[in-house]
Amino acid sequence: MHETILWQVGDLGTIHGKTLVMTWLAFIVIFILVFLGTRRLTSGTPGKMQNFLEWIVDFVRNIIRDNMEYTKGAGLHAYLLTLILFVFVSNMLGLIPNIFWPLFEHVEFAKLDEIFHGAALMSPTADINTTASLALLTLVLIIAYGIKYHGPGYFRHFVEPYPVFLPIHLIDMVAKPMTLAFRLFGNIFAGEVLISVILMLPGVGILGGVIPMAVWLGFSIFIGAIQSFVITVLSTAYIAQAIGSDEH
Amino acid sequence: MNPIAFDLTLPAQIVSFLILVWVLAKFAWKPLMGMMEKRRLFIKDNLEQAEAERREAERIRQEYQEEMRNARQEAQGIMEQAAKNSEQRAAEILAEARRETEKLKTAALADIERERERAVTEVKAQVAELSIAVAEKLLRARLELSGQAELVEQFIQEVGESRPC
Repeated sequence: MHETILWQVGDLGTIHGKTLVMTWLAFIVIFILVFLGTRRLTSGTPGKMQNFLEWIVDFVRNIIRDNMEYTKGAGLHAYLLTLILFVFVSNMLGLIPNIFWPLFEHVEFAKLDEIFHGAALMSPTADINTTASLALLTLVLIIAYGIKYHGPGYFRHFVEPYPVFLPIHLIDMVAKPMTLAFRLFGNIFAGEVLISVILMLPGVGILGGVIPMAVWLGFSIFIGAIQSFVITVLSTAYIAQAIGSDEH
Repeated sequence: MNPIAFDLTLPAQIVSFLILVWVLAKFAWKPLMGMMEKRRLFIKDNLEQAEAERREAERIRQEYQEEMRNARQEAQGIMEQAAKNSEQRAAEILAEARRETEKLKTAALADIERERERAVTEVKAQVAELSIAVAEKLLRARLELSGQAELVEQFIQEVGESRPC
């Protein structure tokens, strides 16, 4: 478990410094991945990294195809690709030992010494703010695509088949992003809590924690991958619902 | 400490993520997907070209087959024609030969006839001569009176010897 490190932003409020720094770290990892993959772009025989990226592109394309006509969802492709990549890398970040600790041990700027303190890095997705922001973006996309394909008529589905259903539709509308956010956050946060707990086992410095740690890290990789897939698929499905609310 | 605490991190994350989406879309996904599309088109073109070439080859094959069949038919025709021609020619030759023989035969017959007639004429002449001779001898025998029997004998013998045929 991580202590929350707060940055004070004037009088506006606070920011979870560690979450933000880890987010940027995840960005850097993604940039490196993508840079390696697009460095020598070719329409001929792709390199290994390009092949990997193309696999992800196809994977997400198929997710979109499974849920809606691809032509309607093509605009989502880039967003969903970024989403799945970011969530996956973020989930993995919490499993990586804190290799940056020696660098920032004495850097007090922006509380970096506190941020890079502890046994492992932190998943940005272990912060409800990150997952909630992703869920909110999905909500925005749901409404945007609903309006794009149905005009103002999109809002009519809130009172269908009878106006009495309005509260249910509203709850549905709130529940979708909420479940998205809490599912991801809960999975990853719990994983990190358990890592901290395993690290607190007596005798962990010798050998006692190695086996449970290895088991749990393996499981966390699985969970992290699954959750990145789940949030992508669900976002797509919700948006597809908004697009196709006439047909369904 | 409550892990579920919202503060300015939320908008900060939204902005960060949108920047990530924008950057990746512009510098990664767009060129990458462009490449994939290009490859897709390349493969599609190749497949179409291969299909077209296959069709062309099939067409040429059929053409050749047709041509071959025609040539075979033509050869057959020529051979039949030749056989017919030779047969006709053979018949002609045969007929000619037959005509020739006929002609020869007719000529030979005419010759024979002519020879025969000549022979007959000759014989007639000889007969006349002989008759005269016989008459002569008869007259002589009558004149001598004696030895009539010998005279007849002699006459007959002479007639028998002088017969031309």
